[in-house]
Amino acid sequence: MAHIHLEDGAFTIFWVLVWTLIAAGLLSIPLYRLGGVRIPTRKLAIAAMCVAVGFAIFQVEVPVLGGVHINLTPLMGILIGPSLGSLAVLVINMFSAAVGHGGWGMIGANTIVNLIEVLIGYYAYRFMRTSLKAGRFSSGFWTTSLALTISAVAVVGIVTASEIQDSEQTRAQTFSNMLVIAAANIVTGVVEGFVTGYIVGFIGKVRPDLLEDAEGVGREAESTTTGAATDV
Amino acid sequence: MSRRSYSRHIPDFRLVTYYGESARSAVHGVNPWTKAALLVIVVLFVIILMDLELLLALFALTLAFYFAGRLPMALLIGWYSLPVLFVLTLTIMFMFTEPGNPLVSFTVLDTRIALTDNGVMLFIKLLLRALIVVTFSLGVLMTTKYSHIASMASGVLPRPLANIFLLSYRFTFETSDEISDVLDAMHARNGDLVKGVSKQTRLFAGIFGLAFVHAFERAERIAKAMEARGFTGQFPTAERLPGPTYAGYGAITLAAAVLAVATYSRYFSGTIGWW
Repeated sequence: MAHIHLEDGAFTIFWVLVWTLIAAGLLSIPLYRLGGVRIPTRKLAIAAMCVAVGFAIFQVEVPVLGGVHINLTPLMGILIGPSLGSLAVLVINMFSAAVGHGGWGMIGANTIVNLIEVLIGYYAYRFMRTSLKAGRFSSGFWTTSLALTISAVAVVGIVTASEIQDSEQTRAQTFSNMLVIAAANIVTGVVEGFVTGYIVGFIGKVRPDLLEDAEGVGREAESTTTGAATDV
Repeated sequence: MSRRSYSRHIPDFRLVTYYGESARSAVHGVNPWTKAALLVIVVLFVIILMDLELLLALFALTLAFYFAGRLPMALLIGWYSLPVLFVLTLTIMFMFTEPGNPLVSFTVLDTRIALTDNGVMLFIKLLLRALIVVTFSLGVLMTTKYSHIASMASGVLPRPLANIFLLSYRFTFETSDEISDVLDAMHARNGDLVKGVSKQTRLFAGIFGLAFVHAFERAERIAKAMEARGFTGQFPTAERLPGPTYAGYGAITLAAAVLAVATYSRYFSGTIGWW
């Protein structure tokens, strides 16, 4: 998965503000959508549980190339949708910052990266399941691999644009240094794609109701009965 | 209080909360708003300060804060592993490519690689910055009651976010235990994460998938219990949190003033850092 493992002080205050403001702008959309409605208690509890599981898995470092980890953010997007998923990744980043897993000032940048994963995870999976009629494993695998590849590129872009404080390296040098980390993240992303594919397949067998929203089942049923659609 | 975590390198939320509730020092009595404001100022300091000496002084201050909270130093050193690993992971390439005077050089595949003085200094400064924030951040968490954190979260965060934050904080303890069980089971079978991820993806997926399904089933039971108890969409705060005391305001003002001087010095005059 992609996560900017930089602590506070790595970016200048300007770039910390830039990424924080962009993240705040992006998060204002789900907050606006969820602000006016009462989130069903079941959805709220499931989103919170996703945060707790995601945070726990987040901390398990795989000792490859200095430390990478899976975080299952695309899976979260599939399970709880883009709006709650967006808020969930913000909370995970807040918890992580509290224990030194990425700085407090990096919450904005990391939230942008994880938002990419959640949004692509949800919409690409939905597209593959509803439009392409792909299987659960292949939908989970391809959407996760795509989401994590794009987010790994986003990490390179964010760090290259921001540059590291105290470093005299040019953006081009920073970019080449970051490519090694991006390669590690993409490889891990493919592994996470397999894991997500299997998990989605497993959940599809034992609790298919948890995938109804991402597979358009609930929405189709609702539209036939009420003509309205809800997406929390 | 017994400890249970994936490893001694990762802060155990249960233990962190235990210290927060124990009220064993004067730092525990400091108003949480004051500590939160000081945390923000410390984060800004590590972004603004560039001099090694000043960063060392700030690190000493944060260690003093942690020590004053009568918190375990040995645990903190173990918990430093995570930020150290992250800083090392990222700066290792920069250390060998940073312009500067070579300290050590060697040739790999006809390419000369040199560790430079500026590269080492970059690593040291980034490491110091990370440790400063981690020390103060854990110090604040381990000296603040959960009810106070909940009260601050309810007051500051928008309602949907506050609800997810508060509920997931409670769930974190159980899910951490569950993941620890999974890892214990894996280690008991002589497994390790590298072999596990590369060769046992299906097994891992089953484990994590089961963890998710268990978590959801538990979440659904909790949701029913919440509704049965009349949950209306907002968590009631158990304790009303007063604002900072005059001494707290004084500490915040003093720290903010020093930060303003440091900021002015860095961006406009350069009076600090003459050495």
